[in-house]
Amino acid sequence: MSQGDFLLRRLHSLTGVIPVGLFLLEHIFTISLAIFGAAYFNAATEFFGNIPVKGFIEIFFIAIPLIFHAGYGLYVALLSKNNVFTYSYFRNWTFFLQRITAYIAFVFIIWHVWALRFGGAGLGSVNTFEQLTQIMSDPCYFIIHIIGYLAVVFHFCNGLWGFLITWGITTGEKSQTISQVLCLSLGVLLAALGIVAVVMFKGGI
Amino acid sequence: MKIIVVGGGAAGLMASLRIAEMKQEVELFSLVPVKRSHTGCAQGGINGALNTKGENDSTEQHFIDTVFGGDFLANQPPVKAMCEAAPKIIYALDRMGMMFTRTQEGLLDLRPFGGTKHRRTAFSSATTGQQLLNTLDEQVRRYEVQGLVKKREGWEFLSAILDDNGYCRGIVAQNILTMEIEAFQADAVILATGGLGMIYGRSTNGMTSTGTAASIVYQQGAYFANGEFIQIHPTALPGEDKRRLMSESARGDGGRIWTYRDGQPWYFLEEWYPAYGNLVPRDVAARAIFKVCNELGYKINGEDVVYLDLTHLDPKELDRKLGGIIEIYEKFIGEDPRKIPMRIFPSMHYSMGGLWTDYNHMTNIPGLFAAGECDYMYHGANRLGGNSLMSATYSGMVAGPNAVNFVNGLSERRYLKESTIEEYKQKEIEAFRKITKMDGSENPHVIHREMGDFMTEHVTIERYNDKLKETDNKLMDLEERWSRIKLNDNSKYANQNAMFIRNLKDMMKLARVITVGALARNESRGSHYKPDFPNRDDENWLKTTKAQYTPDGPVLSYEEVDTSLLAPRERRYDVNVNKKEGK
Amino acid sequence: MIHLIIKRQDSPDSKPYTQEFLVPVTKNMNVVTALMEIKKNPVTKDGQMVNPVAWDCNCLEEVCGACTMRINGKARQACSALIADLEQPIRLEPLTKFPVMRDLIVDRSKMFEALKRLKAWVEIDGSFDVGRGPRLPRHKQEEVYPISKCMTCGCCLEVCPNFSKDSDFIGPAPIAQVKLFNTHPIGNMQKADRLEALKDKGGIASCGNAQNCVEACPKQIPLTDALGKLNREVNIFTLSRFFDF
Repeated sequence: MSQGDFLLRRLHSLTGVIPVGLFLLEHIFTISLAIFGAAYFNAATEFFGNIPVKGFIEIFFIAIPLIFHAGYGLYVALLSKNNVFTYSYFRNWTFFLQRITAYIAFVFIIWHVWALRFGGAGLGSVNTFEQLTQIMSDPCYFIIHIIGYLAVVFHFCNGLWGFLITWGITTGEKSQTISQVLCLSLGVLLAALGIVAVVMFKGGI
Repeated sequence: MKIIVVGGGAAGLMASLRIAEMKQEVELFSLVPVKRSHTGCAQGGINGALNTKGENDSTEQHFIDTVFGGDFLANQPPVKAMCEAAPKIIYALDRMGMMFTRTQEGLLDLRPFGGTKHRRTAFSSATTGQQLLNTLDEQVRRYEVQGLVKKREGWEFLSAILDDNGYCRGIVAQNILTMEIEAFQADAVILATGGLGMIYGRSTNGMTSTGTAASIVYQQGAYFANGEFIQIHPTALPGEDKRRLMSESARGDGGRIWTYRDGQPWYFLEEWYPAYGNLVPRDVAARAIFKVCNELGYKINGEDVVYLDLTHLDPKELDRKLGGIIEIYEKFIGEDPRKIPMRIFPSMHYSMGGLWTDYNHMTNIPGLFAAGECDYMYHGANRLGGNSLMSATYSGMVAGPNAVNFVNGLSERRYLKESTIEEYKQKEIEAFRKITKMDGSENPHVIHREMGDFMTEHVTIERYNDKLKETDNKLMDLEERWSRIKLNDNSKYANQNAMFIRNLKDMMKLARVITVGALARNESRGSHYKPDFPNRDDENWLKTTKAQYTPDGPVLSYEEVDTSLLAPRERRYDVNVNKKEGK
Repeated sequence: MIHLIIKRQDSPDSKPYTQEFLVPVTKNMNVVTALMEIKKNPVTKDGQMVNPVAWDCNCLEEVCGACTMRINGKARQACSALIADLEQPIRLEPLTKFPVMRDLIVDRSKMFEALKRLKAWVEIDGSFDVGRGPRLPRHKQEEVYPISKCMTCGCCLEVCPNFSKDSDFIGPAPIAQVKLFNTHPIGNMQKADRLEALKDKGGIASCGNAQNCVEACPKQIPLTDALGKLNREVNIFTLSRFFDF
């Protein structure tokens, strides 16, 4: 099927936002509750920890789309020949960073899931504020999380900008400029929320 | 049946398209990818009496303007046929997807152009030639996919192959990258190889407009007609590498020509030609500018230029209608023509003359056709702006089917000997081998420059017999020097200088046709102006020049002009005498 | 004197090398004039007689697209590259995304092949007379006219990070042409065929929105706008086919 490529690329764009992006937003929302204190955060993780068919959701709505998005995305990213130093246009830079952050996010997410979901950090499946405080007190964990988190946020927000073009929602220069401002603003907001939350886990500055 | 078309500009593409529509095979040869042909440089528009401006325009008036503009030297029946076909061609191009500029209600817009009082020029902003070329390229590509057209891009025409009966049966061509020389058979050949501006060194023409293909078949026995009629475009940008055209549409859309006289702007065209003003035909405008700068001595900062002024026009409309040339001026001169008047001077632009053909576009070599700028048919002694895209397209449209009909009409299957083909091919291989061994002292580019400068100096706007004689002697001298050229490139691949040396010789042969033709014609008609013979002389010179090649130079003969449809009358643009009869 | 550093290659399979040239300055000089000077007198900076540099050109007015090359690293036309605006030494190289034939000459036939794939033409019954063509609103003509100014020069492909010798992406210039033909009232009748072709491997989905194309286009063709609109059309077309509405 010669058009398989088209469908895979569109699916790649779609999965990046739905459901992976939506899950990311949910994840950031939960974490950011830490800003209001441990109790809020723990209540939220408990709520999400107890929703029905959690395993099914995790596998079919998070893991599989994420693995597809990451795997196919890696293949696409490796096809491109970056030239930001010859052609230093703003969007060429964001194109380049989209791929760099993809590689970072790829490694980070595997490590993050291994460490916090599958007990790689030695604490089993990490769910509570107190466990996170323990983890983030390790400067390595803390710094890696900050870097990984920023990469993920950039990749998501800039990816959202591309998503709007790929799906034909923003077509002209004007709408693409506006959407870029909005996406980057969202990025700044998400970055701030996440960093504050991680700092809260660590127990403040 | 297979027809070879040489040249991928408007005429060649249109011919190919028409032949493919007749379900016949075409092999299309072009020096450059066809989309890079020189047709793309035409700017202002394409003429056809669409009569959509409420001005009572007609194909008849188009015919009258064209014949009158050409100073009655064109054979009238084919001109009439072209003018009648013109609106249909424009509509066909529109259907093919050519992006013509539109009126408010979605019709093709028309702009005023030189030498006519009617709006008759359809256009795509100021890039009409490019749009036309792209459109025809697309249509031909469609037939390429269907397998009816085979393109050979990057091949240079070297020779026509003539059979024992003198019929044209194919060509020899060279791949400009691999240097391979090959013979190609066909039932008929159409040359659509464009203009010859490179003979003048620097002109508005592109680098491929050398006229060599026409020169080659001229040397093989085809007549070259009216060579002395060279159009000088009044408004071009002087430049070291070439002259860049600033379209007539700049004046069509309201641009004015002036220079300073006693510190005041002097609109000399408007003063001298009140009826047509800035829209006098090109020969008239070019002579006027030349006179102002050279004879009357009004220069600008010591330079031979006058102003082409758009600054009084609405910048938005300028961008919409003249964007293409404004961009060129900004990029190459670095000034904004919306704010500062452009500085321009006349330049060699077009050859009205070309290979002699009958009304079916066949040369005197049976089976060899010519179409487009390389033929001589439609423009007489001077071409009106907007008529070149039309004549190129129309002549291709006519030549294609005529070539097919010619082959169909042959009574028996002709036989072409293998040995004949091989002979032609070996001759070219040997000639090229000799060029690659050239090891004298002369530089081909220096010789070319000298030829161009001489031709530009003496065989353009004002022509004097002593200077023409001198030019002819110079050309013979240059030809002799040619044999002492040194080839400075020993590359076996894409050897551009070797090919240039070959072109140069053919350019010289054609330069002599132009010069000798001009020398003989003791009158002034259209673009051919001799101050010593300032008037048109219908009694002696209302005739077509036909140059025939001999090793000692061109031999001229003359042919009567068919003026059966419109009696010759005095050509004036200061008053309007150029109207339909009975009005 | 102008100092030029030129990347050269004798034939498609030979190894590239560089040579330096000094050329006298003339008024309003462009890169083409400098190359002409070298063609006339091919002597390197060190006084060595070499084969002249080969390059492609025709119109010298930035209309035909032939003389496109990398000038100080940027893809552009040599004719409109004025020496006065360039930093010296001036580096000339062939385009990197196309096979080099000799010196600065590259083979861009890939672009024309892409136009075949996309059916980039209007299917008419014939060039004969059938009367007046369709009306087209002025604003629509003005929207797509810039696309019809494409000179197939290859700048947009040269700068596109997703277009390379190894990738099958056909690149922005050919894709944008689809919008031109889909906008024309008759061309619109074959819209489905072109959109279908856009979905093939290496088609519109291979665009990564780096948007270098629109920055590099010497004719300021709104390429990304065309790509965006075509994204929309292709998606709607695909979905409507799938759901059969």
